[in-house]
Amino acid sequence: MASHSNSAVSRFAPERSRGRLAIAVLAGASLAFAACRPKPRQTDPNAHVSIQFDPGPPVVGQSTLNVTLTDAAGQPLRIGNLAVEGDMNHAGMKPVFARLQEMAPGRYTGRLHFTMGGDWFLLFTGDRADGGHFEKRVAVPGVRTQ
Amino acid sequence: MIARDPARVARDAGPDEPVGEADDRFDLLRLPVIGSFLRWRGSRWVLQTPVLLVSIVMIAHAFFGPDLAPKNLATLLTWVHFRGLLVLVILFGGNFFCMACPFMLPRELARRFALPRWNWPHWLRNKGPAIVLFVGVLFVYELFNLWADPWATGLMIVGYFIAAFAVDFLFKRASFCKYVCPVGQFNFLASTLSPLEVAVRDPNACTTCRTKDCIAGRRSPETGASGRGPIVQRGCELDLFQQRKVGNLDCTFCMDCIRACPHDNVGILARLPGEELAATGARSSIGDPARRGDWTLLIVVFVFGAVLNAFAMISPVYTLEQLIARTLRLTAAWPVLAALFTLALVVEPAVLLGGAAWLSRKAAGGAVGLAQTINRFTRALVPLGFGVWLAHYGFHFFTGALTVIPVSQYAVSHATGQAWLGAPQWQLGGLPVAIVYPLELGFLSLGLVASLLVAWRIAGDFAPNNRARAFAPWALVTVLLFASACWTMSQPMDMRGTFVS
Repeated sequence: MASHSNSAVSRFAPERSRGRLAIAVLAGASLAFAACRPKPRQTDPNAHVSIQFDPGPPVVGQSTLNVTLTDAAGQPLRIGNLAVEGDMNHAGMKPVFARLQEMAPGRYTGRLHFTMGGDWFLLFTGDRADGGHFEKRVAVPGVRTQ
Repeated sequence: MIARDPARVARDAGPDEPVGEADDRFDLLRLPVIGSFLRWRGSRWVLQTPVLLVSIVMIAHAFFGPDLAPKNLATLLTWVHFRGLLVLVILFGGNFFCMACPFMLPRELARRFALPRWNWPHWLRNKGPAIVLFVGVLFVYELFNLWADPWATGLMIVGYFIAAFAVDFLFKRASFCKYVCPVGQFNFLASTLSPLEVAVRDPNACTTCRTKDCIAGRRSPETGASGRGPIVQRGCELDLFQQRKVGNLDCTFCMDCIRACPHDNVGILARLPGEELAATGARSSIGDPARRGDWTLLIVVFVFGAVLNAFAMISPVYTLEQLIARTLRLTAAWPVLAALFTLALVVEPAVLLGGAAWLSRKAAGGAVGLAQTINRFTRALVPLGFGVWLAHYGFHFFTGALTVIPVSQYAVSHATGQAWLGAPQWQLGGLPVAIVYPLELGFLSLGLVASLLVAWRIAGDFAPNNRARAFAPWALVTVLLFASACWTMSQPMDMRGTFVS
């Protein structure tokens, strides 16, 4: 009886260890990937962007953007060659671009064409006064279809 | 049925004796270059390897590339190109995506070192696990906005590789493909509409075949200690016996049966798309689909999931979500989504299919049970379901196909610091929506016509004396689904990532 039991153990032991190995790999890989999710990219955390759309709230079609940039102290932030890139959150959508004109210190305007309803991200880029690169991302959720 | 010339049929063919060509259908394997390539033992590896390399690039870009979906290869290639090309290849060819599946490559390599010892559990030998995963993928896609999340998309791809490897590392044969893989089940159902199928050229030759290598595998003539030679070419790992195989269900186009057949009697033959949906009786490894409730549930998810998945991309879904949230006093996203899924995948099919089956049963005199009536007729909805997937995935693919160029340029310059592929050409997109919309309507219309034809065929078998009455309820269900799909496609797409908050 004992030998029968032993033979059964030896016959199935590799399969059990194989199962445990597979489960361990699955669990380990899941934990590793779940733990390493990067935080969303922080772009110029000290800069604040306020956007007014015309028409507002934003709808599909041409839209005028009135943008106000301020620094952490609330003072107007001057950025050279300020441009905006609009991206949808769905893959397969080509981005739209526009250059913004400075109307007053920290105040800019430009026109952007929203090609489809849905959630958009606007990426503002330009040159800081200290020579550094300015980049700020702003979510524009729920652009509506007229 | 195609007429065969008995004089061309080889009688009592022994191994390695080629049979005559008794089937006049177009055979892809007869083409000079393509045929030779597909017969070649390494063809699947050649197709799988580049897809695996692309998958590795996608995974790397998902985890280390930009977190904006339109600029990330993982989200772009998964949700725009892979899905779009998959449905188009199935529509115009066959299940070649399963053939080139990269998930099978790691397991093939692993099986060179260690073979699995377990058989897939009997109680799971059905489509249940795949149905749960199919619904799960659709649910997770909506809940976590996978289309907008490169990291989550990358995690899903890695999870798929691990799951496929783990299942086939533990269990014999193609257990993952047959019982687990939701993409595979999608491909199986969609490829019922394909113009090509892996099938025997001459059925008479199979009746005289003694070795049945197409399923048992081809053994070496050198006998070992067991008295039998080792298998040098495996047979169908999905248990499809060519002689009794009907259509493309459960067929991964792996070509194993083609290479195993000693009579060169298996080809990739042209056939009437959708015809297998109306076929009656048992088929190899599947049995009688009219008695397979799991197949019916899979079709329900395939068809109603298609409508739901498309509906979720337009703005009226907000209104419905808000209504559900208010009515059920829900504040979190997942219960609202669960309620939406219950409505679309349980309540709506139960009412429509149950009602139609009840009326058809009456037309047939009530001789057939309600469940079996549903099983028999639900297959007729597969073409329309495929039409909806085609319209939806086709929209994304056709409107965004060329975005892969600037995104690849961006990825290379981002990764290397050099614009080796040139500066990103962001102006490249795809076809205008005004051109794609008629294409969508075309796909839907094809699905409608094919569904009605299949339903008509099934009704003829189901109630020969009262065909029109048995057909009418299913025609109504088909037209209702078609109308709802047309309405959905006519709405402006609303690429949203927000949910009820």
